[in-house]
Amino acid sequence: MLSKFDYYKPKSIKEALDYLDNNDETRILAGGTDLMILLRRNAITCKHILDIKAIPEIQRFDYKNGEGLYIGAGVNVNQIVDSEIIEEKYPALHQAAASLASYQLRNRATLVGNICNASPGGDLPPVLLVYDAEVHIIGPEGEKMVNIKDFFLGVKKTILKDNEIVLGVLLPDVEEGDNSVYLKQSRLKGHDLATVGVAARRNNENKISLAIAAVAPIPLKLTELEDVINEKGLSNDLPDWVEGEIKKYISPISDVRSSKEYRIHISGVLAKRALQTLIEKEVN
Amino acid sequence: MCGEHGNNCFVHVDSGLPPVGLKCVVNGEEIQACVDPTMTLLNFLRNELKLFGTKEGCGEGECGACTIIMNGETVNSCIILAVEADGAEILTVEGLAKDGELSILQQEFIKMDALQCGFCTPGMLMSARALLDRNPNPSEEEIKEALAGNFCRCTGYIPIIDAVKSAAKREREELK
Ligand SMILES: Cc1cc2nc3c(=O)[nH]c(=O)nc-3n(C[C@H](O)[C@H](O)[C@H](O)COP(=O)(O)OP(=O)(O)OC[C@H]3O[C@@H](n4cnc5c(N)ncnc54)[C@H](O)[C@@H]3O)c2cc1C
Ligand code: FES
Ligand code: FES
Repeated sequence: MLSKFDYYKPKSIKEALDYLDNNDETRILAGGTDLMILLRRNAITCKHILDIKAIPEIQRFDYKNGEGLYIGAGVNVNQIVDSEIIEEKYPALHQAAASLASYQLRNRATLVGNICNASPGGDLPPVLLVYDAEVHIIGPEGEKMVNIKDFFLGVKKTILKDNEIVLGVLLPDVEEGDNSVYLKQSRLKGHDLATVGVAARRNNENKISLAIAAVAPIPLKLTELEDVINEKGLSNDLPDWVEGEIKKYISPISDVRSSKEYRIHISGVLAKRALQTLIEKEVN
Repeated sequence: MCGEHGNNCFVHVDSGLPPVGLKCVVNGEEIQACVDPTMTLLNFLRNELKLFGTKEGCGEGECGACTIIMNGETVNSCIILAVEADGAEILTVEGLAKDGELSILQQEFIKMDALQCGFCTPGMLMSARALLDRNPNPSEEEIKEALAGNFCRCTGYIPIIDAVKSAAKREREELK
């Protein structure tokens, strides 16, 4: 490792923000499952590591009726997998979390690290997109909530400034009858980012939301396609129609995981299957 | 040795930065050390504590050869900084045997021929140990899921899964 960094582990948000303000070239460390690898490969360098794991606020992890689900930046992916309330209320989040890497990696990896890393193929962003999640950010000017669809700017790029920290993510509450699904195609279960990952949600008013990973520089919410779908309404033919239609809304590339053509094909297949799961009950 | 912390203290600071203090418990023994802030936990265990059981395969969180148990949970020690283990309780493969006798899990790995070269074995054992600690009666699916982050390139997974199954059974019967 070429980086020569020192290590600081603040016990409060204030200490952390002060440190960021006074120390250029600082990297925030949560689970380290992305950061440590980039440092080891010398893909990035830094002078300081700010370990946020001792900050009490980021451990918040609760569901409140009427408010929703709050997942702090210190919550790891296995805590999400193990949460019964998430499995019941936000099933796609449970499924995406369970599909992420291996058991021991999930013991460290955090949901917030997954979005801050801003990999186009990350598993959790599509789910946050269909739930219209808000990212809770703190900086020298105070706190703000930013909608997840405004958070990503490009491959590995987010709106976060160097002196800001994500405290957590809020998923709005869901009504009875809300359902969702996450489907992932990868080369090897447990060891790969998604070749394509599709999150689909049907809310209690039968509105469909669709989001997809690894087919564009950022995780995409397919807003225009959703509008057309919701205009058409739910039917037996909808999944097949979406399978053919989705390619108009995505722009995948070829890379080590897959060709562009396969990505387009599998996006259609996954979207079809996801919608079949969600509208099965209605139509039969 | 830094002179300040006695026999367990090491100052191998490759980065040239000031060393950072680290206190943790490894296999029941209290450790106090000064470490290079850029050193991984894996390198600390191997190079400083001379616990060579834990292996480095990929160094990038993929293969599981470096799996240890930290505060009751399995982690990939190759992508954790040594300083992150401050205050932690760590169990490595060296801590599984008691009073010179191999644990039931280790005995079953031998009995079932669940190892050939043995490189993956310490990581496999730690993942299996943590599984049996949280679930004494795992199904085959649960065993596979728990070991999915541990690669074996020579034995094949069936004897390994069998060893975990029979260790689970023996532990339920013998360790009441
Ligand atoms: C073997 C392996 C397999 C993997 N498989 C998958 C997979 O299947 N699916 C998938 O989606 N990902 C996968 N990943 C990627 C990774 O595990 C996830 O992205 C993980 O969720 C990152 O979380 P972390 O806490 O480890 O982040 P870290 O590595 O600690 O941080 C990631 C980035 O976010 C920044 N950051 C972290 N927390 C904050 C915060 N609170 N505020 C501001 N910035 C912050 C860091 O500075 C860094 O730039 C895999 C990684 C490995 C090594
Ligand atoms: S050496 Fe740590 S996972 Fe391969
Ligand atoms: S025994 Fe050789 S890699 Fe598993």
